[in-house]
This record gives sequence, structure tokens and C-alpha cells, in this order.
Amino acid sequence: MTELMIETRNLTKKYKGARAVDALNLAIPQGEIYGFLGPNGAGKTTTIRMLLGLIRPSSGVVQIFGQDLKRDRIKILRRVGSLVEYPSYYGHLNAVENLETIRRVLDVPKARIDEVLHTVGLTKDAKRHVKGYSLGMKQRLGIAAALLGSPELLILDEPTNGLDPSGILEIRELIKKMPKEQGITVLVSSHLLSEVEQMASSVGIVNQGKMIFQDTISNLQRKAGSEIHIALSDAEAAMIIVREQGCFARLEEGKLIFKGIDNGQIARLVAALVDARHSIYRVEERRKSLEDLFLNMTASASGASMGGISQITGGHSGAPRGAGLPKEVAQ
Amino acid sequence: MTTWIAALRSERIKLGRSQVLLLAVFAPLLSVLIGLLSNMNNLGTGAEAWEGLLLVMAMFHAMFFLPMMTGIFSAFVCRYEHAGGGWKQILSLPVSRTALYMAKLLTVAGALALAQILFSIGLLVVGMVKGMDIGSVPWGVLGTRLLSGFIACLPLAALQLFVSTMWSSFAAPLVLNMIFTVPNILIANSATVGPYYPWVQPMLAMIPNSGGYDFGAFSLPLENLMVTVVGSFVLFLAAGLIYFVRKPV
Repeated sequence: MTELMIETRNLTKKYKGARAVDALNLAIPQGEIYGFLGPNGAGKTTTIRMLLGLIRPSSGVVQIFGQDLKRDRIKILRRVGSLVEYPSYYGHLNAVENLETIRRVLDVPKARIDEVLHTVGLTKDAKRHVKGYSLGMKQRLGIAAALLGSPELLILDEPTNGLDPSGILEIRELIKKMPKEQGITVLVSSHLLSEVEQMASSVGIVNQGKMIFQDTISNLQRKAGSEIHIALSDAEAAMIIVREQGCFARLEEGKLIFKGIDNGQIARLVAALVDARHSIYRVEERRKSLEDLFLNMTASASGASMGGISQITGGHSGAPRGAGLPKEVAQ
Repeated sequence: MTTWIAALRSERIKLGRSQVLLLAVFAPLLSVLIGLLSNMNNLGTGAEAWEGLLLVMAMFHAMFFLPMMTGIFSAFVCRYEHAGGGWKQILSLPVSRTALYMAKLLTVAGALALAQILFSIGLLVVGMVKGMDIGSVPWGVLGTRLLSGFIACLPLAALQLFVSTMWSSFAAPLVLNMIFTVPNILIANSATVGPYYPWVQPMLAMIPNSGGYDFGAFSLPLENLMVTVVGSFVLFLAAGLIYFVRKPV
């Protein structure tokens, strides 16, 4: 077991009786990119605000670097960089001056400003007023600010929200380098599974304030399961060949749908189908959406075991679907 | 203590690059103009004339400019934090909320001190232009009044900063400040309410209570007024700090 950078125990935040975050147990090991996943209003931002001491938990404990946040907040925050929701900036200042306001508080060498600007690729625009920056540039400036104090832990809340595809890509590449190049542990929240899949090494999924899944990303992918869809000329006739090959398929809209099938089986199957003069139009892998996954998980949580690896907090099977939490008290 | 200084130096950049400090220059300039246009001929050139000039110049300065500037500076130091989640960023830094709050209050106080110093210089310049005798400047009276005027702004600064951190709008605290500044001229006449009214305290502290200004709240000895000033400063600062330290961000 590696050292835990963030650990919460029964972290709870109530707003007017409703539990925005409900007995959350986060465990984030060192060197991971931890994807904190959940639909809007699931309690991600509320959790992150509690991790940073911006709001007080109703109950529960937050430990960062093994220290109690309530007692050692300032000491902990010196080693943490964060970007919560929207990047904040002083529009009338340029990038260097913006970072200087933070640098003076952090008391790090001036050279760090050039370093972080270089890291996020803003060196060229460093002397421009931030007012005129695009959203992507502001977001990168926000990440630069988070990196300024050479943190060991980086907490990024929806860092790709509202960005265009190239902006998303840039931010994603930036985040992926962190553990490798600088040994930084990253907590990154998102409401997009695809987004998290592409950068995270482990993942925690929250829904309605509760942690419903926490494990490595590969175990999540295994759980999510993918389906192979084969579209071909005569699906019904093809079912016989499929059975001969020892596979099981579901027939849907003239397509054969396979679950839990490996590469070798697909190859043999396709070869057999071609031999039998079927025209194969497409073979594609379909992932389940996050929503399907949620449904799946909440449904299976009450009964089946999750392979012993996943940690599941029970007792959420009774929650009505799609009831949605009251919106978090806005900033 | 070092984090206080660090937070203060951080505030300075934000304020320094904005135009708001120009207020601290313009307001005294207006007072200089008022001083230059006034008729001082019947007061001679001695100490009495200097006190008369202080009365003339401080009237508008202390009644309107100082309280207005206090409100504007207090709202301004919170402005950038209210816009676009700045509180989240700044409070995620390793700085205690107390240190940050004090840094903001000290920034406001610093801007007000600048205005008051420029006003003092303006006063001397106008006096000399008017041909008053620089040797007979009543340094004791002038110094006390100018310093007291500055100190009397601090309870209001603490109060306005409290309101400015509470309301996320930049305009709302200013409107509040304006509404309570306008009746100054009436409230100064009341010996019972006047000393406790934070918006009029700078005026009561700055206007010399010789030369006819010994009615209403002006008749109160400066010492008594300053006790009230210090008391209300402590009260407003404590309230603001308690609120800010507990404020969910």
C-alpha cells in the first residue's frame, strides 16, 4: 500500500438537511492521477471545497499528506495547488503580475513565474492583460497559478469545462505530464467518463453525494464492459455460425452484439463469417455511457459483489433515480 | 506576521495597477481648489487663519470625500475576489483568513492615509499661496486634527469592509455608503447620535471646534470622540473578522 495523499473518512456536508456529500471515503495514493467523476450536482465541487478548507464539513475527517486538515490547514495548503471551477484572475493585470500576487503569498523565487508560464505555454502572452485572454488561456493561467508553489498535490476542478477540443487536449496533456515529470499527485474532477478515462490512472465515482465506485481505471473499464457490434448483410443467418464458433450474440436491428469477447474470438468469428459469404459492414466497439454505468452500479451494488477490489458504500439502492440533489449553494 | 506582510504586498499589486488610487489624489486636489477660492482676508496671517483654512478645506473633505473614499476603497479591495471565484483561489493559498482580512483593511487604511497626507500638503500650500505666515502654523492643532480625521475613518473602513466581503456586489456597499453619508450634515448637529455615527466621525474629528463650530456633536471634546472611534473600530473589526473567518467560500 502506497502512502495516501488524500484520505477522507465519512466526509459529509449537509445543506438545509439535504446531504450534498454523504459519508464520502476518498483514498488517493501518491503519484496517481485520480479522476473524480460524477454528474453535475453529485457533490464533486463541494467535496473539493472541503478538501481545501473553503467550507467546513458537517462531519467527517479530511487528511492530506497524513495530516489533519482542520489542524494544519496552512501547512497543508502550502504543498497543494488548486483550481476550483472557473479560473480566477485579475483582468487589469497581465499574466506575470497575476502570478506575482500569488507568488508573494507563497514566497517562492521569482524564477518560478517564468517556469510555470513555460510549462503551460503562456510565455508569449505573459505581458498581455488577462482580460483579453481566451478561456483556454485563462484556464492555463489558472493551472500555472496552481503549479507556482511546486505543489505535491494538484487539485483541479473541471479543468476542461467550457474549453474547445484543442483546449481540452492541451490541458489533458499538461495534466498527464504532472506525475511523470514532477511526481505530482493529481485530483481532477469531471463529469465526462471519456475525459477521465484518457488521463486518470484511478477513478472515484460519486453520485448524489455518495461514492459508488473507487478503483483503478482498468478495473473500471473491465466493469463498464464494452460491446462489440457487428453489422452485416444477414444477421439472422449469421447467428448459426456464431453459435458454431462457440460465441453468444444478441440480435438487434440487424446487428450482432457481443459481450465479453476477446480479440482472438473476434478474429475467428469475422473470418468464419467472411468464409460463409456474409458481407461485413462494420465491426465496432461500443462503450457504455457514464449513465449506463451508474445505473449498472447502483443496480448491482445491493446484490452482487464487485470482485472484492472495488469499494462500494452501500445503502444507496433506495434513492430514486434522477431525483437530483438540490443545487449546491453557489459560490 | 510574515504572511501578513506577504498578503499585504500581494494586495498592493492589485491596487497599484488600478486607477482607484487616483481618487486619493483628486479628492485633496478638490479641497485645494476650495481653499484657493475661499476668502480668508479677515482672519489675518497667523494661527487663527490656518485654523480657519483647515475649517474651510476640511468641511467637504471630511464630510463627503473621506467617507466616500473609505467606502470605495473597501469595496475595491474585495472587487477582484468577488469577480470570478477569486475568493476560492486566494483562500486556497497558505494564508490565514485573518491575515488576508487584515491585509485588505491595511490596504484601505494606506490609501486613506495617502489621501490625508496629500490633503495636509495641500493645506500648507494653499496657506502659503494665500500669504499666511508659515512660522505661525499651529502644528499641534493641525497635526491632531489631521491625524484624528484619518483615525476616525478606520471604524467606517472596518464596517464597509465587513459589508463588502459579505455582499458579492461591488455597487451595493457603495450605495449603502452613499445613503449613510448624505445625512452627515444633519447628523453632525446631533450631540447624541453624531459621535456614534461612523460616517460623520471623520468630520467631527477634523473640524476644529473653535471658530464657531461648537454646536451639536462638534462641541464634544476630541478625546471623548476618539474613545468612541476606537471602540467602534474594535467592534466592527471583530464582527467582520468573525464573519470572514467562518464564511463558506
